[in-house]
Parts: sequence; structure tokens; C-alpha cells
Amino acid sequence: MGMVLFQREAGGFPNKLVPFLTTLLFVVISIVPWHVPGLAMVAPAFGLMAVYHWTIYRPDLLPPSAVFVAGLLLDLLNGTPYVGTSALSLLLTRSVLMSQRRFFVNRLFPVLWAGFLLTAAAVVAFEWALVSALHGAVLGARPAIFEALLTVAIFPLASYLLARAQRAFLMRV
Amino acid sequence: MAHRVVVPFLVLLSMMFIVLGKADVLLFDRLRIGIADAAAPVLQVVAQPLSAVAGAARHAEGLFDLYHDNERLREENARLLQWQEVARRLQAENVALRDLVKLSPEGAAHYISAQVIANSGGAFARNVLVSAGERDGVARGQAAVTGEGLVGRVAEVGERAARILLLTDLNSRIPVTVASTNDRAVMAGDNSDQPRLLYLPINAVVKPGDRIVTTGAGGVFPPGLPVGLVASVEGGAVRVEPFAQLSRLDYVRIVDFGLGGVLPQSAVPRPKAKRGARAPDSDAAR
Repeated sequence: MGMVLFQREAGGFPNKLVPFLTTLLFVVISIVPWHVPGLAMVAPAFGLMAVYHWTIYRPDLLPPSAVFVAGLLLDLLNGTPYVGTSALSLLLTRSVLMSQRRFFVNRLFPVLWAGFLLTAAAVVAFEWALVSALHGAVLGARPAIFEALLTVAIFPLASYLLARAQRAFLMRV
Repeated sequence: MAHRVVVPFLVLLSMMFIVLGKADVLLFDRLRIGIADAAAPVLQVVAQPLSAVAGAARHAEGLFDLYHDNERLREENARLLQWQEVARRLQAENVALRDLVKLSPEGAAHYISAQVIANSGGAFARNVLVSAGERDGVARGQAAVTGEGLVGRVAEVGERAARILLLTDLNSRIPVTVASTNDRAVMAGDNSDQPRLLYLPINAVVKPGDRIVTTGAGGVFPPGLPVGLVASVEGGAVRVEPFAQLSRLDYVRIVDFGLGGVLPQSAVPRPKAKRGARAPDSDAAR
């Protein structure tokens, strides 16, 4: 579990940290300003992409504690008044995916992408419902739908980068 | 296995945070700005090249329209020179009239420039993190503006970073007035691109194109800061299109008008506390 994460490899650089570090990196990327009109306001949920990828391919290296930390960091960085919402939704994402991951491993990319579409839709809908409940008013659904679409559209690129990182660092780990 | 316990525990912890954050706002505010402060140098490093790329793209885009822009600017310049003349005359007149009625002079505004180093990203919050904090003189409640108009207000301040709540955020409430009629209202964000006007007087007549500016009410903003234009009036819902292009903020100016309308956060009562019951003058009223 959490302990495994911080065990150093005999070779020096702790390759096992790559999933956690890339997830943190993706969380940070999702809040930097991209200066693309429209995109700046609603950015793709990069953190979700990393959690999805690693949960399917290396769940052992991205344990629930790591997902929790990444979610909490996202909540604190993005200034939401409801700290804990991303942590909760990412944790639930991981749990649900764990029960379905056999279906996704070693499948072609379109299957993976379709799975991500469902995941992103479910996560955004969940967060929308949660924040609406916490705020005490039904929020407009348009930004949420836009975020989900954007996230799904960018997933192939993120998936490619994560797969490259996986091949480079985790072949023998 | 340990897994069986860990996940429910962490899920419970997240829920606890959510409830706690709703009950005790102060705790997470401190944590949030602390994290932002620590992350600011990293974010600034990441934001810099992106900003440069965007700048280069805009530059290339600009090259294509050079001729037209030039024409347009020449015309605009001629028009603005006339306005400058008018402004000078009005300023002189204003000074003279102020002198006449013994009005105290307006305090000089103090500007702090800050780079936008992060934005909220998600679909449920509208704020930006800027690279200026307490050490630069930023304080809670100050207005953030661009050349076009009001952007939002400073919500949290750290040592070297500050968070600005944009006009469009769910929790943004700004006292405004319709410039042409002087009708007061509160502009409330709802996470869409166009905030709504609430509490307009019943007999107020508002039409698309009306200019919305801040009022001095509450002592938070100075009166007359440009905010936006009324975009639509549909079935009682009045929406405002902000002047500032909130989706492509690069730099903002934080303005210190020396107004003391914003209470320190510790002075804001918790939701449960009944203010009226504890107010010292409530006894005198009885």
C-alpha cells in the first residue's frame, strides 16, 4: 500500500513514484492558465485522466491514499469553497474502476476511450450534483457538460503521454 | 485486507472535509492560501512559457490584420484626442466645482500589477491566483481590474500570492448601479459567463446595452468602476456581459482605494451565530 510507494528502487530514482508524480503534475497542469479563449474558464480535468490511466494499468502504484492526496491538492489549489469534493470523486472513481478494470486491460484504445467517456460523464455529473447540493441551488449544467466534453476530447493525448511514461519508467517495476 | 479499510476511511475523511469546510470557512481558507503560497513559484515557472506562447500566437495573428488595425487605430486616435480635450475640460471644471462645494478630494488609488499564475480550472469555481501578495501590499477586498473593467475582488491573500474571486463565480456579489438610471442592484455570479442582476427596484427599466458600474455602497469598491453592459433581459433575469475578458486574463491590476469596507475574515460571524441577538445596541433599542 502506501508504504510500497516510497520504497526506493535499488537503481536510484524511485520509478514507482512515477504514477503518483505524473498524477500530481496533471493536477497542476489543470490549473495553469492556457490562454486559449474559453478554455481558460473551464479546463479539462487532467487529474482524472491520470487517475483513470494508472488505475487501469498500475493500480498497485497509485493506491487510494495517493489518489486522495492528489484530489485534496486539486481542491486546495483550485480554490473551491468545498474542499474534499475532488478527493471524494477521484476516490470513488478509483473504486468503481477497480471493479471493472479487467474489462479494460489489454483492450484497444477505442474501448479505453469509451470507458473514459462514461467515467468523465459520471464524475462531472456527480460533482455537479454534489456542489449543487452544497451550494443549495441547482447550478447551470452547461459549464459542467463543456468540461466533460473537453476532458474526453483531450484524453487521447494524455493517455499517449502517460503510456510513454509507463514504458520509459515502469517496464521492469 | 488493508484496502478494505483504507478506501472507506478516506471516503469518510473527504466527506468530513466537505462538511467541515462548510461549517468552518476559516480553517480551509488558511490552508488553501498556504498551499497556493507554496506553489506560487512553481506555478509561475509553468505559467511563463505558456504565456509567452500565447503572446507569440497573438502576435502572429496581429500581423495579418496590421493594415486594418492601423486604419482603425488612426480613426480611433482622432476620436480619442477629441475626448481627451473634453476630459481635460471636465477635469478642470470638476476640480473647480469640488473646490466650490468643499468636497474632500478623492484618495489617490494605488495600483499593484500581478501576473495570473493559475485559474480554478474546474466547472464549479471561477477564480484566479495571481503572483502578488501581502508583501506587495495586496489586501482582502481590494478590486482587481484590467484596462477594460472590473475583474473581481481579492478573496484570499498569502505572502506572495493572492486569490481573486471573479465576477462570474458562484459566490461573487458586487453592489452595482445602472449608470443611466442610477438604479441599484447586486450583481451575482452563477458560474456562467454572464452574471445576473439581483434586487433591482421593481419599477426599474433596464434594457440591453445599459452600462453597469460599481456603487460605493458598502465601502468596498469606489463608485463608477466600469463593470459591463446589460446583455439580455429575459423574464426578469437581467444578465451582464463583463467588459473584462475573463477567459484570457494575463495580468491584472489590483487597486487599493484605501477603503475600509471589508471586514477582516475573523470578524465575519459564523453562519450559526445570531448577530442581532448579540449586538450591543439591541438592548438600547428595546
